[in-house]
Amino acid sequence: MVDSVFLALSVLTIGSAIVALEIRSLIYGSIALMITLSGVAGFFLLLDAPFVAMFQLSVYVGSIAVLILFTVMLVRRELIFNKVEDKRRRYAGIGLMLALMLGMGTIIIGSGLKTMDTNSPMVDYKKIGEDFLTYYSPALIVMALILASSITGAMTLARREDAIDDQRAD
Amino acid sequence: MSTIAPQFRFSRFIASLFDLIFWVLLIFSLVGLPIVFIILFYIKLPIINGQLMTPYLSMTWMADPSRTLPIVKNFIHTTIFRVMVFPGFGFAALLAAATIFVERKFLAKMQLRVGPLYCGKIEGILQLMGDGFKLMSKEIIIPAKADKPIFWMGPLLFVGAAGAFVSLIPVAPGWVVANPSVGLLAVFAIIGFFPIIAVLTAWAANSKWTFIGGLRALHQMVAFEIPLILSLLGVVILSGSLNLSHIVESQQHFWWITFVPIGAIVFFITIFAELERIPFDLPEAESEIVAGWLTEFSGMMYGLIQLGTYLKLYAFAGLFVVLFLGGWNGPMVWPPFPQDIITNGITIGPVTAKFPGLPLFDQQMLNGTLWFVIKTVGVILLILLPRGVFPRVRMDIALHTGWYKLIGLAFINIFIALGLLYAGVLGPGGLLQ
Repeated sequence: MVDSVFLALSVLTIGSAIVALEIRSLIYGSIALMITLSGVAGFFLLLDAPFVAMFQLSVYVGSIAVLILFTVMLVRRELIFNKVEDKRRRYAGIGLMLALMLGMGTIIIGSGLKTMDTNSPMVDYKKIGEDFLTYYSPALIVMALILASSITGAMTLARREDAIDDQRAD
Repeated sequence: MSTIAPQFRFSRFIASLFDLIFWVLLIFSLVGLPIVFIILFYIKLPIINGQLMTPYLSMTWMADPSRTLPIVKNFIHTTIFRVMVFPGFGFAALLAAATIFVERKFLAKMQLRVGPLYCGKIEGILQLMGDGFKLMSKEIIIPAKADKPIFWMGPLLFVGAAGAFVSLIPVAPGWVVANPSVGLLAVFAIIGFFPIIAVLTAWAANSKWTFIGGLRALHQMVAFEIPLILSLLGVVILSGSLNLSHIVESQQHFWWITFVPIGAIVFFITIFAELERIPFDLPEAESEIVAGWLTEFSGMMYGLIQLGTYLKLYAFAGLFVVLFLGGWNGPMVWPPFPQDIITNGITIGPVTAKFPGLPLFDQQMLNGTLWFVIKTVGVILLILLPRGVFPRVRMDIALHTGWYKLIGLAFINIFIALGLLYAGVLGPGGLLQ
C-alpha cells in the first residue's frame, strides 16, 4: 500500500516538476509547480510528519504558488523571455541533472541511512514544540525576532503616506 | 403549443417504458451481475453475527425486516456512510440547501419584500428544487477562447476543496470524517486553495470581468488569510491542541469566546471576506463587474460553484462553533430511547414486532448533533444578516481592514491568551480546568 502510494507520488512529483520546467505556457508551468509542491507534502505525510505536510501545503501551495501565479498573470511573456532553442543546452542540462542526482544518491547511500529504523513511532508535534521552547530556545528567539521585524517592515512598507483621501476609513 | 414532442401518444410512451425495462433487465443480468461478483471477489466482506456477509446472505436478511436493522447499523459505522451521509457531504449539503432558501426568505422579510412565493404553494418552499432543475437542464456554454481544461476543472476543484473543508468539522463526539492530529492546520491548508481556484478559473474564462473579479478575490483572500490564522492561535494556546475534537472537549466548562472575544470577532469578520459575502463581496460585485469571477459559468458549472460556496459557508460556521462556541457541548435535552421497545418490541393490536439492534444512534450523539446544529444555524443566520443591512465596501478599505486593523487586533488577542496562560488561569494545568 505505502509502496504503491510512494511510487505514484514520486511519478506525480517528478513528472510535474519536469512539466513545470519544460512546458511553454507559463500558467500551466505554475500549475505543475503547485502539483510538485503538493507531492512533496504527500511525501511528508508518508513520513508521518503531518505537521510539516500541512505547513508545506499552506505556505508553499497556498502562498508562494499564488505569488508566482499572480506575477505570471500580470507579466507579458514576450517581454521577459526571448526564445533560445538550443539542443546542446538541453542535453547539457539533462546531463548536469543526472550527474547531480548520481552524486547526491551516492552520498545518501554512503551516509548509513540504510541502518536507520523505519518502524519508530510517530513524533508528536507537541514534542517538537517542547524541544523548541527548551533546548532550541535560542533558535526560536532568533526566528521570532526575524519574523517580528519582517512583519513590522511589511506593515511599514504597506503604509501609504502619499494617499490623501478623506474618504478613507482611517 | 409545445414543440418538444409534437406526435406524442400515450400508448407509445407505455410501450417505450416496457422496452426500456426489458433492456435494463437483460443488460443487468448479463453484464451487471458478473461485474458485481467480480468486484465482490476483491472486496473484504464484513462478518456479522459470526457469518460472512455474502451478497446472497445480505439479500436474505433484507427480506426479513427484523434482521435489517443490524445491517443498517453496521453500514452506519462504515467510512463510506461518514463521507457520504452523516457528518460529511449529505448532512452539509442539506444544511447548505436549507441555507440558500432561508437566505432568500430572510433577506426578503428584512427588506419588507415577500421573497420566493409561487413555487410550491406554501411560501415558495419548492423554489430551490425548481432552481436546481433549471440549472441542471441548462446548456453549459464554454467561451470560445477559454482555456478549456482549467475552465472545466475549476468548479470541480472548488466543490472538492469545500468538501475537504467540511470533512474536518466534528459534529458529535466521535462523529467526524477526518480527524487528523493537526486538524486546524489542515483547515489553513485547505483555505489556501480557494484563491488559487478563483484566480485560475477567472484567467481561464478569458474575459475582463472574470479576470478583474479573480484578481480582487486573490487580493482579498490573501489579505484576510493572515488575520484568520492569527486569530485562531489564541484558542490553540488556551486549549493546547490543534485537533478540532480535542478543542471541543476542552470547552466542557467554558466556551473560548468568553476569554478570547477579540479573536472571535476578528475570525467572524474574516469569514465574510473568505466567503465573498457582503460587505466584502467585491469579487462578485454585480453592479460593477457583472458577476465577477463567476461571470462565464453557466448551467451546472455555476450550480457546482454555488454548492461549493454554501458548503464553505456551513464549514466556516461549523468551525466558528467548534472553536469558540463549544461545539457539541450542551445540556442533555434529548430523551433516552425507551427501554420498553428494546426489551418487548412494539405491540400493535395482536401483532408484536421485535427489532433487535435498536437504538440506531446513542443519546450522546443525538444530543451533540442537536446542539451543534442549533449553534451552527445561529452563526449562519448571523453571517446572512449583513447582506440585508450593509453596502459593499471599497477595495482599499477592505484591504486596509485586513492588513492593518485585523492583524493588530489578532496580535492583541494572542497577547491576551498568553497572559491568561502565564497567569496560570487557563490552559493546560490552569486553575479553571
